[in-house]
Amino acid sequence: MAVAQPAARAVAAPAPRPWWRGRAGLVVAVVLGIVISYFGWRNDVPWPASLTWNSLAAHLDSFQTWLSDHRNLPHPSIVFRAFNGLASFLDDIVGWLTSFFFKLTWIGTTVLGVLVVLRYGGRRAALGVAAAFAAFAAMGLWEPSVRTFALTFASVALALAIGLPLGVLAGRSDRFARAITPVLDAMQIIPAFAYLMPIVILFSVGPGAAVATTLIYAIPPAIRITALGIRGVQPNTVEAATALGATRLQTLFKVQLPLARRMLLLSVNQTILFALSMVVIAGLIGGQGLGDVVTSGLYSNPALALLAGVAIVIMAIALDRATEAMAIRTDPAHRHLTEGKKRRLRLYTLACAAAVGLAVGLGYAFGAGSVWTGWTGQSWLLRQVQSVLDYVQNPSTFVFHITNPIGNFIVQYGLEPLRTFFVATPWPAMVFGLALIAFLVSGLRPALIVAAMLAVVGVANEWTPAMDTLSQVLVATVLTLAVGIPLGIWAAESERARRGMRPVLDVLQTLPQLVYIIPFIYLMPVSIVPGVMASVLYASPVVIRLVEAGIREVSPNSVEAAGAFGATRAQVLLKVKIPLAREAIMLGVNQGLIMVLAVVVIGGLVGSGALGYDVAQGLQRSLFGQGVLASLAILALGIALDRVTQGRRRRRLGDLA
Amino acid sequence: MVRVTTLALPAPPASRVDRSGEPLIRAAGVWKIFGRHADRIIGTSDAELPRAELRAKTGCVAAVRDVSFDVWPGEVFVVMGLSGSGKSTLVRTLIRLIEPSAGQVDIAGKDVTAASQAELRELRRHTSSMVFQHFGLLAHRRVIDNVAFGLEIQGVSKAERLARAEKVLQLVGLEDSANSFPDQLSGGMQQRVGLARAFAVDPKVMLYDEPFSALDPLIRRDMQDEVIRLQHETGKTMVFITHDLPEALRLGDRIAIMRDGAIVQLGTPEELVGSPADEYVENFVRDIPRSHVLTIRWIMRDARPGEEDGPRLDVRTNVRKAIPVIAESERPVCAVEDGRVVGVVDRETVLTAIAGESA
Ligand SMILES: Nc1ncnc2c1ncn2[C@@H]1O[C@H](COP(=O)(O)OP(=O)(O)O)[C@@H](O)[C@H]1O
Ligand SMILES: [Mg+2]
Repeated sequence: MAVAQPAARAVAAPAPRPWWRGRAGLVVAVVLGIVISYFGWRNDVPWPASLTWNSLAAHLDSFQTWLSDHRNLPHPSIVFRAFNGLASFLDDIVGWLTSFFFKLTWIGTTVLGVLVVLRYGGRRAALGVAAAFAAFAAMGLWEPSVRTFALTFASVALALAIGLPLGVLAGRSDRFARAITPVLDAMQIIPAFAYLMPIVILFSVGPGAAVATTLIYAIPPAIRITALGIRGVQPNTVEAATALGATRLQTLFKVQLPLARRMLLLSVNQTILFALSMVVIAGLIGGQGLGDVVTSGLYSNPALALLAGVAIVIMAIALDRATEAMAIRTDPAHRHLTEGKKRRLRLYTLACAAAVGLAVGLGYAFGAGSVWTGWTGQSWLLRQVQSVLDYVQNPSTFVFHITNPIGNFIVQYGLEPLRTFFVATPWPAMVFGLALIAFLVSGLRPALIVAAMLAVVGVANEWTPAMDTLSQVLVATVLTLAVGIPLGIWAAESERARRGMRPVLDVLQTLPQLVYIIPFIYLMPVSIVPGVMASVLYASPVVIRLVEAGIREVSPNSVEAAGAFGATRAQVLLKVKIPLAREAIMLGVNQGLIMVLAVVVIGGLVGSGALGYDVAQGLQRSLFGQGVLASLAILALGIALDRVTQGRRRRRLGDLA
Repeated sequence: MVRVTTLALPAPPASRVDRSGEPLIRAAGVWKIFGRHADRIIGTSDAELPRAELRAKTGCVAAVRDVSFDVWPGEVFVVMGLSGSGKSTLVRTLIRLIEPSAGQVDIAGKDVTAASQAELRELRRHTSSMVFQHFGLLAHRRVIDNVAFGLEIQGVSKAERLARAEKVLQLVGLEDSANSFPDQLSGGMQQRVGLARAFAVDPKVMLYDEPFSALDPLIRRDMQDEVIRLQHETGKTMVFITHDLPEALRLGDRIAIMRDGAIVQLGTPEELVGSPADEYVENFVRDIPRSHVLTIRWIMRDARPGEEDGPRLDVRTNVRKAIPVIAESERPVCAVEDGRVVGVVDRETVLTAIAGESA
């Protein structure tokens, strides 16, 4: 009988088991097994040479040579011609945009930016944009800022040109949404460092490669949010249009798109932020502008690199506010545009256009340059930044006495032992151990994928650096969780804490990954530490937010019920909220790992070694084969870490369906 | 005392329903089963299973089961049932907003179930239009643009469609709100916009899916009056879905009562109230004052010799309206159909009928 089922199940419910008899206990047992194998056969069982494909790097190198030879023939074949066309098209867009802004003169560019935002976003957002222009001028970074904006603009435009139509499709078709979701997931978990190498090989260094890199990163959010927007349109409006005999296109253009407009513009907003957070990495492969200033300043002029990082943040904040204001202000569903208002707005638009024209004319009349070259406070600012950097590095200051021991402690008791442990543990114990954990936590398929991915790492001859990277990732993740989970719980429990943390988290989330690293190069100049600390800073906000959201989501009913039994606040938290929020916390672990990996490998640029170093070498010294293999290992490691922790029921941020 | 010998009351308006030709809508054996491989179920013994058992066995939901009916030009055909009984699904299968799993629907002589996408669009543009429970208005358009939307879809020029929309807005009394936006109107006014939008395309058939269920009771009554008025003025054929029996009785020429996807009874209001087919229908109509619905046809008895020259009433007269006449008359009142006396009612028959109401 169907009715009797729940009661029967309640009776059959197992008595609570101590944790060591459950899955957690098994995981601990597996970890113990790995540790035992380490002490038993330390360094005895490295990844066997017979299982590596040693010539792979050489093959890849010769492939690259072949590729560039054939591409640069006087008469390349049709495939290469098409490809070269694409590459130079991407280069050209950035070039055109840059020279367009330069042609406007700095006055024209400023007036154009401010008035566009004023017309569509309102006064406050326009003020922000004006302030951003002033800041670029004051920092003496006008030209790289304009270049970065052009690069971002080109990437965003292309990302939207691809992402919006696909998002519309995903919003209208369940089949398409299901098909594309895993691809988007993959695009988002792959660390940027893993696809830099292949892109450089395909596009060679330059703005085109930078655009391509940014696209991979920025297209998924464009698709996701667009699809969400289309799905968010009330089904009964769509049905009403269908019932009136609207075609699918009519429904799309007259109903779905206008009503989803606000979400679509928010997807523009997110795409811009994602693109901007890539410009620094793009600087590594020929993207000009602020990213270039950051990456080349990393070794030669760190103060300038920091200043450029600040400029990127200012641009991010100004663009974020501007596009958000535009999304809200132009939402047709809330604007109540009547004919009279429409006419006035049209006049307003004309006036703005005229003002821009006038500004450009004045710029030419008074000989304003293409970029601002007047007064800047750059040298003063640089001196200040440098003096701070010098201060923290000075062994006689108290800062040094805090940071130095912390850095040394992390290396001595965290990173070094763990590194030795991972590198020296017999590989079969590692592969089977991790696969077993994946099986216990996530199920059979993830376990098989983990085993396969680790095998790929070994075959690609990257076992040792990969284990090195893995040890850094683990330390950073443990630190991230140690910071993120308590703060997340605190933010969920206290409205004040939440409000206090929010602006900090916002800023941390808009900072480009590499910018985190710079301060730590000075604060904790101990080889591996900057990468680890930066990744902790980068991943913590997401963990905090996920944990907080998870705990807040816990149904008030269960909390109330527990309260009715006289549970204290601590009891409610420990016995009701945290257990019920376990899935969200698990997702936090998962996302934290992925984000930590992305930054830890970037640390390879500044002395973290391991896989990131190989990629950096590949990029900077043209060791292509080496770089591609390391990229492959990063990718494999990323997938493996994702699968180990994905849990049984996959829950993702921004699921489509 | 005045002896009433002529007709005391005007006969109810001659029915607007035109049964001389073909029915305007004809549904024959319509099925809709939601779920995987639903089409394999129809025709097997599984299709006969009660809904819950079918769901337990196959995971499919039989929302509409073997429904057939005809709707005649000018008729208001009401479909009534509890929520979940399949009403919305049924009305959507008529114009294939939901594809029926089996069966045939003809509208205005055209086989809808066999129509191509283009033909279907033509049908939806010109022959039918629909009013929804949750209005389905476009929040980004003014009221008048909402009303003109159907015409816009058809490609009617802007000036023409706005002129037409303005006229229709007058018809529903919203001419002053033409430039407002939907979220600035009350629920009742929004549904008037929905009505106007449906009327603007001048369809032959109006489909209403619980249009007033989301409104307050008082406004609901207003809107029902509005529909009755519009129906009288325009003579449109209507299929009206509701879960509210009083609403069904007020509006319907005929009412189909649905339960678990099937029609359990189809008849005029008085047929339903006078002789409910089963307990389910009985439960619905139990609280309806019978004298409000029944005509004297339902309570009359055969005339005895000599009674045939009493005061006369049309046999379709409501019992409630007939009471004053019967009360004043010394003699039994004759029920007349087509000039012929078909029965008589006297005080005793009326009292018995009213007594039965409270029993
Ligand atoms: N898209 C759908 N998928 C699955 N089942 C549905 C779907 N739409 C309706 N149903 C089911 O069909 C039955 C009839 O629904 P509906 O026609 O909406 O009833 P009503 O309008 O009378 O309340 C309900 O049991 C409902 O759950
Ligand atoms: Mg319904």
